Amino acid sequence: MLKMQNIRKSYRSDTIETHALRDFSLEVKEGEFVSVTGPSGSGKTTFLNIAGLLETPTGGQYLLDGQEVGGLSDRDRSHLRNEKIGFIFQGFNLIPDLNLFDNIDVPLRYRGFNAKERRRRIEKSLEQVGLAARAKHLPAQLSGGQQQRVAIARALAGEPRFLLADEPTGNLDSLMARQVMELLEFVNEWGTTIIMVTHDPDLARRAHRNIQIVDGQVSDLRQVAQHKQSAIA
Amino acid sequence: MLELRPILSALWRHKVSALLIALQLGLTLAIVSNALVVISERTERISRPTGVAENEIVTFNFMAIPKDYDMYDAFRQDLDMIRALPGVASATISNHVPLSGSGSASGFYTEPNKETGAMGSNYYTVDEHFVDALGMKLIAGRGFYPEEIMQIDPSSNDRPKVSVVTQKFADDLFPESDGNVLGKSFFLGGDDHPIEIVGIVERNLGPWPNSSIAGRGAFYPAITDRWFYYIVRAEPGQRDEVLKLVEEKLAERDGNRVINANTMEEEKAQYFAGDNTMIKVLSGVIVLLTFIVALGIVGLTVFWITQRQKQIGVRRALGATRTAISRYFLLENLMIAATGIALGTAAAQIFNGFLVREFDQPALPVSVTVFCALGLLAVSLAAALVPALRAANISPAMATRSV
Ligand SMILES: Nc1ncnc2c1ncn2[C@@H]1O[C@H](COP(=O)(O)OP(=O)(O)OP(=O)(O)O)[C@@H](O)[C@H]1O
Ligand SMILES: [Mg+2]
Repeated sequence: MLKMQNIRKSYRSDTIETHALRDFSLEVKEGEFVSVTGPSGSGKTTFLNIAGLLETPTGGQYLLDGQEVGGLSDRDRSHLRNEKIGFIFQGFNLIPDLNLFDNIDVPLRYRGFNAKERRRRIEKSLEQVGLAARAKHLPAQLSGGQQQRVAIARALAGEPRFLLADEPTGNLDSLMARQVMELLEFVNEWGTTIIMVTHDPDLARRAHRNIQIVDGQVSDLRQVAQHKQSAIA
Repeated sequence: MLELRPILSALWRHKVSALLIALQLGLTLAIVSNALVVISERTERISRPTGVAENEIVTFNFMAIPKDYDMYDAFRQDLDMIRALPGVASATISNHVPLSGSGSASGFYTEPNKETGAMGSNYYTVDEHFVDALGMKLIAGRGFYPEEIMQIDPSSNDRPKVSVVTQKFADDLFPESDGNVLGKSFFLGGDDHPIEIVGIVERNLGPWPNSSIAGRGAFYPAITDRWFYYIVRAEPGQRDEVLKLVEEKLAERDGNRVINANTMEEEKAQYFAGDNTMIKVLSGVIVLLTFIVALGIVGLTVFWITQRQKQIGVRRALGATRTAISRYFLLENLMIAATGIALGTAAAQIFNGFLVREFDQPALPVSVTVFCALGLLAVSLAAALVPALRAANISPAMATRSV
């Protein structure tokens, strides 16, 4: 599903070169729920950005869904992001000027769906996260947990194969964090592959597998006990 | 896939700044389109055909020092001399110079002994060379015979027997005659002396091209020593040499006088100096206003893009191509511009109504507003283009990297 081999990523500024990832290899199978942990600055976000085609690696090979994505144009990468990948960010990243309906509409318009299909998907995904009644609200009128649920709805509306989440619960209290986690587990059970960066060891443990990134490399691969939790109520 | 509705709803949350730019655009449109009408009217005034060979003609006039100077003898000798000079195509003597801003006008009637209801027209006293010397086109009848030329004392009651008039003079005085005015006579005010029309010239704007009587002209076969100018037409391309040569020879023939030489082009430029200044000032206003509105658009677009960097990164992460990002900001700009132009079109008409009423300015045709609107639309898009293209370079990683 996702296969990285000897991925390197370095950032060059005037004075120093930072090696954010080096000799980074990882394989994620279809349907997996992988949690990523590691110290601050170890390269977790860099990994996620490369996995999600937001950044290009300095070297190495990356196969997404069996396709080598190294040589793709910016345009092709945009289309791939749009079709196969859903993002969930720590800061929710909803567009403040648009109501919930229009926020979820953003990636669907880039996809080129017609108005009817978009409406169907928006309503369905808002339903899934329990916010159907709030479609006309602005993000600022929602709590953090609700905003993150909208962000998840936005990621899900395109029915992506991959869901990439960078500390999705980082800005939430523990109750809301648990709700979001349950939602992700529910989505995973329906077949979406999830990679989630988190600082919370409890949440990390609930994934099928936890990988630790230390100093730009995968330090330790171990299976974690599979907590099969029931989906949200 | 145009995303007009969401752009509009997002814009609605920033309506004050959007509306301010739209208003500025509208105001610019109102002023620019009205300025353009005035400019085109003035340009037309200046460039309309004058009926004379304005670029080949030089004029001379002199003041004689001694009191008992024989003017008519001087005219004869001067003109004979001038006509023999190389580069001179033709020469005449006239009381006034067309396009110069100084002339004579009078009231004309179709019947004798009338005092009211005159048609105003310019008139000239000229010798038999006038058609050729002025470079006019005789379209009917004849010019003057040498023996017809009289010497007229302006204070006397001498009247010419014949006249050559401009087409416009004929059409305006005899509107029914369909241009067939040869052989018809006209009269001066309170006078029963008929003056017969023997020829028609195509056009002569006269000494005051901006006046209401411009284009009407009557030529009399006469010479007067009160006002006189030698009007000399040079062979093509030799005007400046002829000017110098004639001035030199006039002084040579009789040094006891002060000679004043001029090109008709210069006189015309002086006459239209006000119009020319108006054109320059209004053009400056157009350029300045357009520049300011373009600056405003660049400023607002850059500001909004900076403010929405994160949002742009998120959109890129969600699948927007670079093109989609640029298009977003261009469409947003287009909506603001369209609002401004709609407001401006209305404002332009209102403003023009005021100018027409209060300042007697020309009416604003729809085509000019449309032309200006399209021009401003292009300026607006061009102003937004560079910021919009730069916005497309914002990295999708902005979505995860910035807080
Ligand atoms: N655009 C950039 N330019 C220069 N250096 C960068 C850039 N982005 C990341 N880095 C560096 O790369 C390294 C890895 O960063 P990354 O954001 O992947 O860490 P992280 O594991 O996500 O940290 P955190 O847990 O704090 O989010 C860090 O040293 C960071 O300073
Ligand atoms: Mg990070």
